[in-house]
Amino acid sequence: MRPDPLILAFDTSAAHCAAALLSGKRLVASRLEPMEKGQAERLMPLLEEVLAEAGAGWRDLAALAVGTGPGNFTGVRIAVAAARGLALGLGVPAIGVTRFDALALGLPEPVAVMEDARRGEVYLRDGDAPARMAVLEGLEVGAPHRVGSAAGDGALAPLYPLAEAIARVALGRLGSEQPRPAPFYLRGADAAPPSDPPPVILP
Amino acid sequence: MSESLTFLGIESSCDDTAAAVVRHAPGAPAEILSSVVDGQTALHAAFGGVVPEIAARAHAERLDLCVEQALAESGLRFGDLDGIAVTAGPGLIGGVLSGVMCAKGIAAGTGLPLVGVNHLAGHALTPRLTDGLAFPYLMLLVSGGHCQFLLVRGVEEFTRLGGSIDDAPGEAFDKTAKLLGLPQPGGPVVEVEAKAGNPRRFAFPRPMLDRPGCDMSFSGLKTALLRARDALISAQGGLTRQDRADLCAGFQAAVADVLAEKTRRALALVRDETATPVLAVAGGVAANGAIRAGLQAVCAAAGARFLAPPLRLCTDNAAMIAWAGIERFRAGARDGMALSARPRWPLDKTSPALIGFGKKGAKA
Repeated sequence: MRPDPLILAFDTSAAHCAAALLSGKRLVASRLEPMEKGQAERLMPLLEEVLAEAGAGWRDLAALAVGTGPGNFTGVRIAVAAARGLALGLGVPAIGVTRFDALALGLPEPVAVMEDARRGEVYLRDGDAPARMAVLEGLEVGAPHRVGSAAGDGALAPLYPLAEAIARVALGRLGSEQPRPAPFYLRGADAAPPSDPPPVILP
Repeated sequence: MSESLTFLGIESSCDDTAAAVVRHAPGAPAEILSSVVDGQTALHAAFGGVVPEIAARAHAERLDLCVEQALAESGLRFGDLDGIAVTAGPGLIGGVLSGVMCAKGIAAGTGLPLVGVNHLAGHALTPRLTDGLAFPYLMLLVSGGHCQFLLVRGVEEFTRLGGSIDDAPGEAFDKTAKLLGLPQPGGPVVEVEAKAGNPRRFAFPRPMLDRPGCDMSFSGLKTALLRARDALISAQGGLTRQDRADLCAGFQAAVADVLAEKTRRALALVRDETATPVLAVAGGVAANGAIRAGLQAVCAAAGARFLAPPLRLCTDNAAMIAWAGIERFRAGARDGMALSARPRWPLDKTSPALIGFGKKGAKA
């Protein structure tokens, strides 16, 4: 009989380093370290500690799972780049999981996932509608259930901590073809074309 | 420390995502087994310069693809490598971070050692990759982001003799192109325009030639160009093609004169270091024909050898990072999984910082 697949999940999309190790459906180790900065330095040592706690090594992993946001741009890229490097080095798949899928896991549907995006905005996925940015003030959602840091009173609590949820979503996708993880951006890049027009070239 | 070493190099500090495989056995020339550079020029073209967030987004999703391609082109697998070298700064931090994290992932997954490399050291050690140049030598690094003279005495031993206190020349070429309605990147197009222009029509300044030493400044030159342009536009409602060519020629001549004179001084400073002085150049600006001719003339007059690696190894690439990684590895350098990505990282930790780089300290 095949042993249960070992999935290592991690997320640095906000002010934390989070990791969880799943053996089949069983959570064997997890960590959540709050930090404003230093995720790039901390992430890999933390993952090695999680593996060591479970008596496992990198080569034992069946897959990696990574939080793709939306969230802090730089933070999301730290985890996604590490996941893609690990996948390449280990020859195992890396599975990207959005914060929406992670928070909604196991909750009654349809559910509106509403996460604080600062500046008075929220990252919103309302039921089956495409995810988008929305202004928090006066926001109404169609789904009967709500979850997330901006979901307000009466919201459901997520069933799992973030990294564990990412691991469990990835477990459900294991064995099917997965795209390489990519950051999930809802805000565009902060860039504007030059304001001064080029000079007129006379004939 | 005499065995053959094969390293993967990873570079993502500006707007090129790059990966390369380099092999070196002591006593033999280094071999570049592959060198992949995935440029982002088209992504930034509309903005008149590199946009850090756009660059960071592209690097994060291209790095592993470049590594795969570099490995495939080299015909090797991870098991054939001896280590991973990655640019850990200085540069646009979003790209550097993605490169460092991707490299850490590969190193952890394969068990290969990891070596962080200073991007500037990559450029500065390139003459040893291409020509096996012995220490010491004088290096002029002149690109879109950097401009400095380095006396290179060893793999970790760099003395900065001077550099730009504001813009890098490549940046000035880009801004010139933008001001004159020419496409990006500015270096090659300004050079082409300048060929048809009269470099003596506009009296552009040669900043800081009146001051001793090897420091330079290029932001005033850009302002002078803007004033000359605006005077023409207000007088005649636009620029003629000849105006544009003359402006390009005048600007290029000023940059070439400043670099030549400061190079003459830098060569004089290192005269006591070596009997056969060598000036090596790196950076895209060193590809400019007029600038290069000026540098070669100064070298000839000083009895110095002029060494310019091929352009693909002068501009940003990962072969130079793999090579610098091999050199550092042979010197005993190893980095752990806590390796930091650094936006600022001067090669020379002792010379006074170039002014104009802010309170966080010297950028490069």
